[in-house]
Amino acid sequence: MMENRLLLIDDEEAILRVLSISLRHEGYVVFTALNGKEALQVFERENPGIVLTDLKMPGMDGLQVLRRIKEINPDTEVIVITGHGDMDSAIDALRYGASDFINKPVRDEALRIALDRAREKRELRRQLQAYTTDLEQMCRLATEEVRRKSEFQDKLITSSNDGVVATDERGLIILFNPGAEKIFGYSRREIVEKVGFEEIYPEDVAEEFRSGFRRKRDKRGWGWKEVSIRGKGGEAVPVRFSGTLLYEGEKVIGSVGFFQDLREIKRLQRELVQSERLAAIGQTVARLAHYIKNILTGLQGGMYVVNIGLDKDDMDKLKAGWTMVQRNIGRVSDLVMDLLTYSKEREPEYRECYPNQIAEDVCELMEVKAAQNQIALVRDFDSAIGRVSMDPGAVHRCLLNLVSNAIDACLFDLSENKSWKVSVRTGREGENAVSFQVTDNGAGMTADVKKKLFSAFFSTKGGKGTGLGLLVTHKLVQENGGRIEVESEPGKGSTFTLHFPYRREDGGGSGSEPLAAKEH
Amino acid sequence: MSKKILAVDDDPDIIVFVKTVLEENGYEPLIARNGESGLIMARAEKPSLILLDVLMPKQSGIRMYRELKSDPELKDIPVIILSGIAKRTFLRSQEALTEFGDEPVPDPSAYIEKPVDPRELAETIARFVK
Repeated sequence: MMENRLLLIDDEEAILRVLSISLRHEGYVVFTALNGKEALQVFERENPGIVLTDLKMPGMDGLQVLRRIKEINPDTEVIVITGHGDMDSAIDALRYGASDFINKPVRDEALRIALDRAREKRELRRQLQAYTTDLEQMCRLATEEVRRKSEFQDKLITSSNDGVVATDERGLIILFNPGAEKIFGYSRREIVEKVGFEEIYPEDVAEEFRSGFRRKRDKRGWGWKEVSIRGKGGEAVPVRFSGTLLYEGEKVIGSVGFFQDLREIKRLQRELVQSERLAAIGQTVARLAHYIKNILTGLQGGMYVVNIGLDKDDMDKLKAGWTMVQRNIGRVSDLVMDLLTYSKEREPEYRECYPNQIAEDVCELMEVKAAQNQIALVRDFDSAIGRVSMDPGAVHRCLLNLVSNAIDACLFDLSENKSWKVSVRTGREGENAVSFQVTDNGAGMTADVKKKLFSAFFSTKGGKGTGLGLLVTHKLVQENGGRIEVESEPGKGSTFTLHFPYRREDGGGSGSEPLAAKEH
Repeated sequence: MSKKILAVDDDPDIIVFVKTVLEENGYEPLIARNGESGLIMARAEKPSLILLDVLMPKQSGIRMYRELKSDPELKDIPVIILSGIAKRTFLRSQEALTEFGDEPVPDPSAYIEKPVDPRELAETIARFVK
C-alpha cells in the first residue's frame, strides 16, 4: 500500500488549513505543525512517509527541518515549498535531500504531481529493499546448499574404498583420496600438488592418459581393466582401473582415475581354489582308501581260507585261498602302478611289438569275466598291421582299461533282454598310426558324464571305481603323441577309439613331433 | 542233513570266503552271483538263511531284497546283509524305494559291514538260521 501519511509544516495557519483540507480530501492522513520544533515532535511521534514544508519560517527554517528529518529517517520524502523566485533555496534543499520543490502560491496540480512522484519513489525504494533482502536471503541459502553438497561430495570421495586420483589439465595430481593412499602407499601430502600422474601410474595407464591429453580429442571414459600398481614399497598391487578425461565443453580441464583394490578378491579367489583343491584331494583320498579297504578285505578273506586249508590239510581250500591272496596282491600292484603312472612324467618306451598281439592278450585277460556275465567278446583285428615300434606297456594298459570299462558298461546296463557284446577292433591309419577301437552295447553315457570322463578321479562305478582308469589312459595316450575319441548314446552303448602313432620297423620318421625328437 | 544257506555276491573273493566259513560251520553253501539268479535259487531251494550283498550292479541286491520280503513264500527266510555301504545308507535306500509307492519292507535280520570277520559271521548266522 502506498504511503499516505503526510506532515504539513507552515507558519501561516491559513495555508495549513486550506492545504490540509484539500489533502485530506485527496485521501491523505495529514498532520500539521506551525514551526520546526513542533514539526519535529510530530514527526518523531507519527513518522509520516512524506513531509511538506515551507522553507521560510521563523525559528527553525525549512532547510534545518529538512536536515533534521533526514537525520532521523533518511527515507522520508521531503517536499519544500519555496518563495516566488527563490531558486537558491530550492537548490540548497535539493542538495540536502529534498525530493522536490514547489513554488508559492501552491497550485493543486503542482502539489498533486509532486506528491505522486514522492509516493512512487518511496514505493520503489521499498520494493527494492524487499527485493534486495530476498535476494540476500536466497543467496545465503544457495551458498549453504552448495557448501553442503560440496562437503557431501568430499565425504563421498574420502570415504570411498576405491582410490580416486584426479589431475588438472597438465597432469598434476590435485586429488588423492585415502583409498588411493592405501593402494599406492603414498600419503596425500607427498602427492597432491607435488607429483604428476606419470610418476605413479603404471606405464600402460599413464599412456592412456597421455594420449588422451595429447589428442585433446574426446576421450570420455574407458572401461575397467586389470593392471598392476607398483606401490611405494615396491610391492605389486593388483587393481581394476577405470578413468576419464574431464571436460568443460570442448576444453580438457583435468582427468580422474578410479582404482579398485583387488588384493582381497584375489586372496579370496586363491583361497577358494585352494579349498576346492583340498576338497577334491580329500574326496580322492577317501575314494582310494575305500578301494584299498576292499582289496584288504579280499586279502584277509584269502588268509582265512589259506589258514583253514593248512589246519585241515585241505589242498583245495589252500589253493582257493592262495588264489584270492594272489589276485588281491595283483590289484594292489595295479593300483600302485596306476598311481605312479598318473603322477609321474613318463617317457614312452619304444619297443618292437605286434599291436594285434597286445589286443589279443587283453582279450584273453578279460575273457573269463565276460563269459561269466554272458557278454560276447568279439575280436576284429586288421591283419595288415604287423610289427611296429611303439610303447607296448602303454597300449596294453589303455586297452585293458577300455575293455574292462566296456564290460562294466554292460554289467551296469539296466536294459532287459539284450545280448551284450564288446568288440575290439584294430586298424591301420595312414602310414604311421594304429587305431584301437572298443565298442560296447551297454549302458552308454549322457552328455554330462561324457564331459567329466577324463576329469580327475571321476567314476560312475560307485565303490568299485577309483576314477583312475581313464585318467591314466588319457595321460598315456597324450605322452605317446596319440588321440582318444569317445562316442556314446545312453541306453545304446559307447565306442572309444585310441589312435597311437608308431615308428616304422626300420626306424624311419613318424608323423608326430614328440617321437621325432627321440632317438630310438 | 546240513542246513542250506544261500550266498549272493558278485565278488569272487567274497564267494570263496563265505563258502569256506559256511562249510567250516557245517552248512551247505549255495552260491549265486547276482540278484536275479539268487531269486531263482531261493525259490527252488528254500534255504534256511540268505546272505546278501547289496552293492551289486543294477541294484540287483536291493531289488532282490524287496522281492524276497514281498513274496509270501520267501519273506520268512532270515536275510543277513553283507555290505560295503553303511547300514543307514542301505536303510535310507529302502525308504527311497518306499517313497515311490512300494510297500515298506521289514529290516533285515542282521547287517554286517565289510570286512567280515569269520567268527562274527558264524555267530550271526547261528542266531538267525531257521
